[in-house]
Amino acid sequence: MPLLQHICQVIYDSQIGTSIRESEYLFSIIESVHVLAITLLVGTIAVLDLRMLGVVLRDVSVTRIARAVLPLTWSGFGVMFVSGLLLFWAEAAKNYTNPAFRIKLVLLALVGLNPLIFHTTVYRRVQEWETARFSPWRARAAAFASLTLWCGIIVAGRAIAYF
Amino acid sequence: MSLRVWFVALAHSPLGQFMQNSRWGFAAVEAVHLLALTLLGGSVLVLDLRLLGLILRRESPRVLNRDLSRVLLSSLAILVLTGIALVSEEALKCYNNAAFRWKMALLAAAVLFYFTLYRRVVLSLGSAATLTSRVTAVISLSLWLGVGVAGRAIGLI
Repeated sequence: MPLLQHICQVIYDSQIGTSIRESEYLFSIIESVHVLAITLLVGTIAVLDLRMLGVVLRDVSVTRIARAVLPLTWSGFGVMFVSGLLLFWAEAAKNYTNPAFRIKLVLLALVGLNPLIFHTTVYRRVQEWETARFSPWRARAAAFASLTLWCGIIVAGRAIAYF
Repeated sequence: MSLRVWFVALAHSPLGQFMQNSRWGFAAVEAVHLLALTLLGGSVLVLDLRLLGLILRRESPRVLNRDLSRVLLSSLAILVLTGIALVSEEALKCYNNAAFRWKMALLAAAVLFYFTLYRRVVLSLGSAATLTSRVTAVISLSLWLGVGVAGRAIGLI
């Protein structure tokens, strides 16, 4: 058995993992929190992405929207990370072999890479374009990538239950 | 005539037949439902936090609403259409499901509230949040959250 799979099995067999899995309500409750917090994480970052694409709020500067939205996005990320970790704890051994779960992890890595590139390149000169109704193409590309990747993550996440 | 008749008709409609017989139909439509929910939730959240005076205090609520209501209403339209398709797959199960009934009641309340009081408060609000705007935001957030929780519960009970 590969090391990673072995670790997943140990997590799966742990007391916490077993009690979440075998509890009558716990897994469903955590899963519901995980689903509804999508709005806090992805719903808020989508507003910023749509602004950079010039779809909404063209009259409001990009940095103002970023300042309003990013704390919400990060708190959403916190909720998603903790609830996601607990769900994984309960299902680690099954998740390991689940193709949808694997795709989701790859997409998550990519969606993390996206703002890293964005913030070290075009966002550094945001003062020059923050009030422009349409952002420069690099910013639009980042926004498009963000929306596409998050859509993929949500769909892959939902698909985990189907495998 | 009872509402049940409509659910039976939906189940027997071509849409219902397709949803019941298709292998990936339900999963695909459900995924779209979830994506539209994300956009609806995001726009509601931003608008309500503005009414609470927590974010974007320098932006006019009227301007924010003008743009975000477009996102909100188009996602709502997608949610309703995909929702009908999802119901058609298991119409009678939904009809008898308490969570589904709660969801429909809360949805009706949320939409009615949005088009009446909510809109009036947003359009008349200056830059500073008022007691009225805060109460409006709390009611709106509670109703939409209720729709989401009840919706999630349909599959659990």
